[in-house]
Amino acid sequence: MEVNNNEVELDCIGALCPTPIIQLGKAIRDLPAGATIVLKADDPATQSDISAWARMTGNSVAAIAMHTYRVTKR
Amino acid sequence: MVTAGAFDGEHPLHPAGAEVLRAAFERGWARPDGLSAASAQSRHLLSSAREEIAAGLGVRTDEIEFWGEPALISPVAIMGASHFAHGTFIAGATERQEILAVGARAQSMATIPVSEIGLIDRDLLLEALESDSTVAIQAANIETGVRQNLADLAPLVGGLGAHLHLDFAAAGPLVKLPAYWSTADFPAKSWDGPAGLGIMVINANQRWANPLAINTTHRAPESFSLPLALAAAASLTGWLSDSAREAERIRSLITLMRTVIKQTIVDVDIAGSGDANQSLPHILSISILNVSGEELVAALAREGFAVASGSACVATAIEPSHVLRAMGQLTHGNIRISLMHAVAESEVKKFLALLPGIVDRLRMEAGS
Repeated sequence: MEVNNNEVELDCIGALCPTPIIQLGKAIRDLPAGATIVLKADDPATQSDISAWARMTGNSVAAIAMHTYRVTKR
Repeated sequence: MVTAGAFDGEHPLHPAGAEVLRAAFERGWARPDGLSAASAQSRHLLSSAREEIAAGLGVRTDEIEFWGEPALISPVAIMGASHFAHGTFIAGATERQEILAVGARAQSMATIPVSEIGLIDRDLLLEALESDSTVAIQAANIETGVRQNLADLAPLVGGLGAHLHLDFAAAGPLVKLPAYWSTADFPAKSWDGPAGLGIMVINANQRWANPLAINTTHRAPESFSLPLALAAAASLTGWLSDSAREAERIRSLITLMRTVIKQTIVDVDIAGSGDANQSLPHILSISILNVSGEELVAALAREGFAVASGSACVATAIEPSHVLRAMGQLTHGNIRISLMHAVAESEVKKFLALLPGIVDRLRMEAGS
């Protein structure tokens, strides 16, 4: 996990489901509301699971590039 | 000790079918189309089985074809539609993979999205429909138990005279054929009949020709096993009688599971609305956040509960369930429960008592 320009970057390339979503949940836990994380994950399940995760947890997600998502904590 | 197959998608052969099977191999070994006395006996046995199955499924005896390879029924039924070669093939996004795969052989294909509770988008279906379309819709989904509203959708297809293929792999005889349909697929496994036997139903009022290069006087290869056909017929009669007695009890157990799981586990997706008109009585699909489907299936198996999963990390799947994805459901941490008629309430309660502890432990081990 790296912090650049107040944005946390989480690299889960190569990690299989549900690891990227679990790592994302852990990384976002201690961040303040409005903070953002850029998640990189290429597991095929992440693409659909990240939307379901956002719906379940109330956070918001936008796909910003291939295998790359910007997540904003509510 | 949990009853074998009580929660799994695959149930053991119905006892009525098992009883018939042995005798059938002794009495029904000859080809039904021969001239010998043994063949005459086989003909008689097959004719009785045909009548029994037609009655159970609510169709005419001359609309039934027995198939020894059930996985071929839907693809062949769809490709045999009179307009298949030049019209658009239309299928719901949550149809079985072998049905969606037929799209590769079609001139063009339209996949109709489903809502978050798994129902086909009626307006988009209507928009895609033309008189030369071939449409495939499932009566219910095998992973989630979600029932399509056939009484509403079938007339849309019928109004244009397009081909409507219905897949009953999950619903079996629990769902009745609507007023309009062209072909239908009923694997015997859908009523706890034997594997390796399925029924293709072809509406007598519809034009259909087998797309496979077989004897043109027959609509099916007729290479199915007669003993399995007899066992399928006996299983169907037995299963229907069990269902009349048990379906409501099973539905109330599934409703109990929906309620208790929502109360005892946080961050869980349960597929479908659970409404009696929109779901089969015996199937439940749940996805649990931050849990590996593979570990969950293994942990439940250690407690004696065999369940299936639509998660990518389980079995040989690389891609997660296309059904859960189409519904926007979480795909990891998924288990599918399919309750058998013989399941005891105490087994369901034991499952419900165990599940939260297993989930807590797996989440803790994963560090979530």
